[in-house]
Amino acid sequence: MDEERVSAVIIGVLMALFGLIGIFLAAGARDIEMSIFGFSLAGFAIAFIFGLLRSHYDMIEARTGEEGR
Amino acid sequence: MSAAATASLAPVEYNDDVVRKFVIATVFWGVVGFLVGVFIAAELAWPSFNFWAPYLNFGRLRPVHTSGVIFAFGGSALIGTSFYVVQRTCRARLFGGKALADFIFWGYQFFIVMAALSYVLGFSKSREYSEPEWHLILWLVIIWVAYLVAFVGTLVRRAEPHIYVANWFYLSFILTIAMLVIVNNLAIPVSVFAAKSYSLFAGAQDALVQWWYGHNAVGFFLTAGFLGMMYYFIPKAAGRPVYSYRLSIIHFWSLIFIYIWAGPHHLHWTALPDWTQTMGEAFSVMLWMPSWGGMINGLMTLSGAWDKLRTDPGLRFSVTAVGFYGMSTFEGPVMSVRTVNALSHYTDWTIGHVHSGALGWVAFITFGALYYLVPALWGKTEMYSRRLIAWHYWISTLGIVLYITSMWVAGIMEGLMWRAYDAQGFLQYSFIDSVVAVHPLMVVRLVGGIFFLTGALIMVYNMVMTVRRAPAGALAAATPLAVGD
Repeated sequence: MDEERVSAVIIGVLMALFGLIGIFLAAGARDIEMSIFGFSLAGFAIAFIFGLLRSHYDMIEARTGEEGR
Repeated sequence: MSAAATASLAPVEYNDDVVRKFVIATVFWGVVGFLVGVFIAAELAWPSFNFWAPYLNFGRLRPVHTSGVIFAFGGSALIGTSFYVVQRTCRARLFGGKALADFIFWGYQFFIVMAALSYVLGFSKSREYSEPEWHLILWLVIIWVAYLVAFVGTLVRRAEPHIYVANWFYLSFILTIAMLVIVNNLAIPVSVFAAKSYSLFAGAQDALVQWWYGHNAVGFFLTAGFLGMMYYFIPKAAGRPVYSYRLSIIHFWSLIFIYIWAGPHHLHWTALPDWTQTMGEAFSVMLWMPSWGGMINGLMTLSGAWDKLRTDPGLRFSVTAVGFYGMSTFEGPVMSVRTVNALSHYTDWTIGHVHSGALGWVAFITFGALYYLVPALWGKTEMYSRRLIAWHYWISTLGIVLYITSMWVAGIMEGLMWRAYDAQGFLQYSFIDSVVAVHPLMVVRLVGGIFFLTGALIMVYNMVMTVRRAPAGALAAATPLAVGD
């Protein structure tokens, strides 16, 4: 695997973990700040993982395009 | 030519996408930070501007302003330029791929937004420049470690044998900020689910740790990091090598050795032991030498290219920034002398001093770098309008002059009024007398801030038009400027 893929996998796994931590924090939050932070962290993680998926398919398309030329 | 030599000359595909994102974030947070600063300056002149709303209270908005300009504006500028500089001076693509770079960018922006939101909601550790509660600090540490990995990874796989001095400054900024943030935030949370914690330290030790952090946030975030910017962008914009590379190395090692001991000068005339206060004062005075050595090195880099100040208003920002760096690093040691501090401490003189550094040095060196970077990153030959850069320069400079002179006058007036006694030994003035006396100067400071904000808005317009309209050209040369080039 090249550097881009290894990086995406490691960051993707970490973001999934952060997303779970966010839900965990939001579920047990004792104040408004922790509630907002927990939900925001979970939302941020989901958005970031979608970004990683998009980058992955963009890269495949770019490579396919280069091979087709 | 050997295969290795051929490989080292092969073009490198730099990750400029993340640098572009940081440039946009820098400009955005700059405007937000300046705007909040102007608003709270209005609150200090006319307190009813808080409209009796807790969310608009000065105590909550002040950290939004300081974090906004230091960590959001300054931090985005530092991370973005460090990624630009390290790739070019090492002739290597940023380590860790696009995913790591994006994680650093978006993770840092997430931290900024969450921190600002928490201040407005009333959550704060009440430690200056370190207000975010424990959960936000943990997130920042994760991002910072990722940043360190990307930066050091790029250094390790460099194709250039030498590590350019700008990278030494950037690396010291990254490592020291990590150490400072971790130690100053050692705390026990009330609960994993509560945004409240208590420091591991207590009393005078707690104050000392806080100001060891606080002063070195100035030394390593607002000084060392931006010196890295100076050592790359001034030679590039001037088309000259650094005046003395040897002096830059002496500047680096002496600055980082001395700065770390100067923090106790923030606690003169307090419960801190006398010897600690004296040590802080002595090291602060010693800081004159490396600071001025660096200033001379930055200014003398213009030797043989002073004429460019007439034709390149972007470079004018950078050189004026070095002048302000010299001025504020002269004023700082003066204020650290205990006799002077007895007058200046707790007054608006300190605020004026901070802003001569923050506006004159930090913001101006950043503006100079931005005016270099925007055309280079968006493939343009030059900025949309040089005249607008000149307008930005002069209106901002005028704003700074109004700001710092009004705060000098206000601060010295406050200090003198607070220590004035009458013939019977009673205080001559009540505190409210000094508040009333400085009101006109608060208004002048507000006007200075509005000027500075206006300059930033002119810059935004110029940059937007540069990206949309300026003539396209080749990307700036990808080669680093070596000594003697």
